[in-house]
Amino acid sequence: MAKWIIGIIVVVLLGGALWYSGWLGNKSMMQPSTTPTSTAQTTQPQAVAQPENGMAATNDTSDAALTQDTAAIDAQMQGLNSDSANIDSSMSDKETAQSY
Amino acid sequence: MKTLNYIFFLIALSLGLITLVPVVALAQTNVTGAVNTSAAVTTGNTGASVNANSSITLTAAEKTAITRGNTEIDRRSAALTDLNTRIQAMQKVTDAFKQGISASITAEINTLASLKAKIDADVDLATLKADIQSITSSYRVFALVLPQGRIAAAADREVTIVSMMSTLGGKLQTRIQAAQQGGADVTAMVTALNDIAAKLQDAQTQAEAAVTVSASLTPDNGDATKMKSNTAALTQARADIKTGATDLAAARKDVTSIIAGLASVKTTASASSTTQVSQ
Repeated sequence: MAKWIIGIIVVVLLGGALWYSGWLGNKSMMQPSTTPTSTAQTTQPQAVAQPENGMAATNDTSDAALTQDTAAIDAQMQGLNSDSANIDSSMSDKETAQSY
Repeated sequence: MKTLNYIFFLIALSLGLITLVPVVALAQTNVTGAVNTSAAVTTGNTGASVNANSSITLTAAEKTAITRGNTEIDRRSAALTDLNTRIQAMQKVTDAFKQGISASITAEINTLASLKAKIDADVDLATLKADIQSITSSYRVFALVLPQGRIAAAADREVTIVSMMSTLGGKLQTRIQAAQQGGADVTAMVTALNDIAAKLQDAQTQAEAAVTVSASLTPDNGDATKMKSNTAALTQARADIKTGATDLAAARKDVTSIIAGLASVKTTASASSTTQVSQ
């Protein structure tokens, strides 16, 4: 009977020592931290193709999206007109006559 | 038949995306090589930084020559700087390509700046005369690099628009299919959609051709035969760009007609349902 009592006391003391050292506390505190980690992994934003040059989202087929897309394209078309004019200008360039 | 049209459109879109890659790759290789030719401009020693012209007596004609030379150098520098800005805005090429071509243009600008500084600092008339004459000889490089860069930029823009219109085409296709499932007659819209696909495909081809014909040209350095062939190539490239622009304008009109058609279908359906409710 005394052996049992001594054994229980030893176990309690060991448990107390471990708790006091913080080992058990850290173990218990580490448990919850894994949950947010896994949650964060599952809630990371998925790679989505970004609309280019002011276009609406690629999966948006609404009237507003079509209007936005055509406006974005028109802006690029105007840019193309400018680019084309610049080609003409560069090809008709004349050097300032040098004299000496 | 409509199903075949849809399939054709999808194939055309796929081809457009596939051909996009070689255009970009082509631009990366050829244009870079061409612009590197700007290194042909040489100015010699530019070490003198003092106003050495005060040590020689300049005639009025010589002063006029210097002024004209500096004006021409400033004009070219401004044009190259503007081109450099446009190159930075190109979208369908890699950053490495842009940096490469930008570095070449910047080198040309720096060369011109050095030449201008050298002219201002020349200490003897013979050197001054040679430097002013080099402005004219270096023009052949400028006369090639500038249109080459402009053509590459325009081709990049056309490919960008092709990509944007392809995206829009997919959306229009979805809307047309929905309208068809609602019982609407979508024949005209499908025809326009197919025309968009064809026009985008050709615009892509034209942009690619413009880069192909122009990017590998090298300065003529006064060779009349080469000057003629370069001019012909640049003229062809410009024509390609214009054809591509015409294609894109036609495609844009098709977009307008389809959107109008979709609105008409919606209006008709709305009016029909209203009539049914009122009966």
